[in-house]
Amino acid sequence: MSNQQPILQLRGISKSFGFVQAVKNVNWEVYPGEVHALVGDNGAGKSTLIKMICGALLPDSGEILVKGANARIAEPVDAFRLGIAPVYQDLALVEGRDVVMNMFLGDELTHGPFNLFLDHKRMAIETQRVLDEIHSRIPNVREYVRRLSGGQRQAVAVGRALIRGGEVIIMDEPTAALGVEQTREVLNLIETLRSRGKTVIFISHNILQVLQVTNRISVMFHGEMVGTRKTSETNEDEIVGMIVGTKRDVLAAQE
Amino acid sequence: MANSDTLEYRNRRTDDAQRLLRLALDNWLYAATILLCIFFAFRAPNFLTVDNVINTLVSSSITGIVTAGFTIVLLTGTIDASTSGITALASVLCAVMFQQWGVPLPLTLLLLMVASILMGLVSSFLIIEGRIYSLIATLGSSGVFLGLSVGLAAGQQIAITKPELQNALFERPLGIPVSIWVLFLCYLLGYVMLNHTRLGAHIYATGSNYSAARLSGIPVKRVIRIALIIAATTTSLAAVLATARANLSLLYGVTIGGVNLADVFTAALLGGISLRGGVGKIERNLVAVLFLSILSNGLQLMGTAPAVWLVIKGLAFVGAVIIDAVRQRL
Ligand SMILES: Nc1ncnc2c1ncn2[C@@H]1O[C@H](COP(=O)(O)OP(=O)(O)OP(=O)(O)O)[C@@H](O)[C@H]1O
Ligand SMILES: [Mg+2]
Repeated sequence: MSNQQPILQLRGISKSFGFVQAVKNVNWEVYPGEVHALVGDNGAGKSTLIKMICGALLPDSGEILVKGANARIAEPVDAFRLGIAPVYQDLALVEGRDVVMNMFLGDELTHGPFNLFLDHKRMAIETQRVLDEIHSRIPNVREYVRRLSGGQRQAVAVGRALIRGGEVIIMDEPTAALGVEQTREVLNLIETLRSRGKTVIFISHNILQVLQVTNRISVMFHGEMVGTRKTSETNEDEIVGMIVGTKRDVLAAQE
Repeated sequence: MANSDTLEYRNRRTDDAQRLLRLALDNWLYAATILLCIFFAFRAPNFLTVDNVINTLVSSSITGIVTAGFTIVLLTGTIDASTSGITALASVLCAVMFQQWGVPLPLTLLLLMVASILMGLVSSFLIIEGRIYSLIATLGSSGVFLGLSVGLAAGQQIAITKPELQNALFERPLGIPVSIWVLFLCYLLGYVMLNHTRLGAHIYATGSNYSAARLSGIPVKRVIRIALIIAATTTSLAAVLATARANLSLLYGVTIGGVNLADVFTAALLGGISLRGGVGKIERNLVAVLFLSILSNGLQLMGTAPAVWLVIKGLAFVGAVIIDAVRQRL
């Protein structure tokens, strides 16, 4: 996998909030078609890092390359255009609108003179198609998101990422608030995305889940990227060690 | 097993109860309006005559038109309290340009539209760039507009003697007065815009979840700016109609025929627009405006003292706020 060109590459990315340096000089590579976990303790900087990839935050320094080309990601739309589609920790769904409108939020289909009018019909059909594609079980695409379960919401958020032409789907703690059944639904969803050839970045605190569904695992510690492991070549102990900061590549190199 | 079954059953019951409550909250106004009409048809003399129906519609048109724009702003989660300032300035500008400077009517209207856009931009600048809470920002801009209007009119009401403005108002295309046409046109355009255009979808999304809308690539600031411009435009339009009717500029925007912000609030909340934004339907707000207008008209025809109407209006306002609170807890 490593001799391929990374679909996403970060070079020297840093970000501070006042005196808090949330992300420190991060170099990171993500390869096409892999499910890549990003783990780390609370406050390690995972969300901050992906927000910069998604255009929700601007890095203080460093550069982001998409498919080898330098990318300027200043706004969420820039990321969408590059095929990077986030599924935020808080899902960024609009509760008071239905599934269809959420799917196309900010990128609605139109028709008619000057493309003035919303194409409700085509949006509903597309929504159903994408939801079927990811095997989601939402009985009615006209249902308000407010009334959906956590797993169903996750499916809507992922469906939206796909509809916007997402190649790299970034999921920030998609299973955090979910029960057993719904968690399995989301893990299946990730499996489905992989089988569709999508790249998935998966943030989670559940190491067992991470070991179960990912190809590679990267660990952040206090804003730094401390290392990346192939899932097949690592184990829970090593990853946990890296997360709590006792096993770092840097230390290993010094020994 | 049995336990989880009962739990599920109970959940479904509360689910049904909620659905029913929401259905009631969404539709009580339609039922109430019909019942009110039936009641007055029997009890209020001349209620169902063509003249009275037209009168009621005409008298609701000004508040109704303002409410249309106000609703659109509320849907973005913003409160626009600049109604009286905009009304006053638009009215005085109309009188000054049309009467004192002799600007032809169509050009006057065009310039007023430009002025409305500017007024909307002032409010949106304070809210967006100044990061001031919208209610406060618009109260401020309202004060500025009011001051400008008083200065421009030199503290006087300007009488309009050129006939074209009032004549235009008294036109009756297809037998229906101009102000009723304008009223329905505003709501028709508002309905189409909110339900069938991207702008409408973005307005709902912005009001419903600002950060989600922003993260989805919706230009939230521009959406709010456009909504405020729409509201300033409809408010100016209402001001022109009121000015034409009185043939006088409306000093302070609250003289006879002017607009009362509390009325607009009452109509919007009765119609089910949430103060938190993102929830509500503009067509229901038209019904709310008509409901209030019918109530006032029917009471008048029954010979009720004006005080009764004022009290009822106050109660309606409080009731509307309570309904909004109940809806939010759902
Ligand atoms: N908008 C912000 N303003 C100030 N500080 C922030 C902001 N966002 C994040 N931080 C800080 O940056 C650091 C990294 O936070 P971040 O949310 O990226 O962590 P995380 O790895 O996603 O944690 P978690 O697992 O709890 O989600 C934390 O110390 C946090 O307090
Ligand atoms: Mg996080």
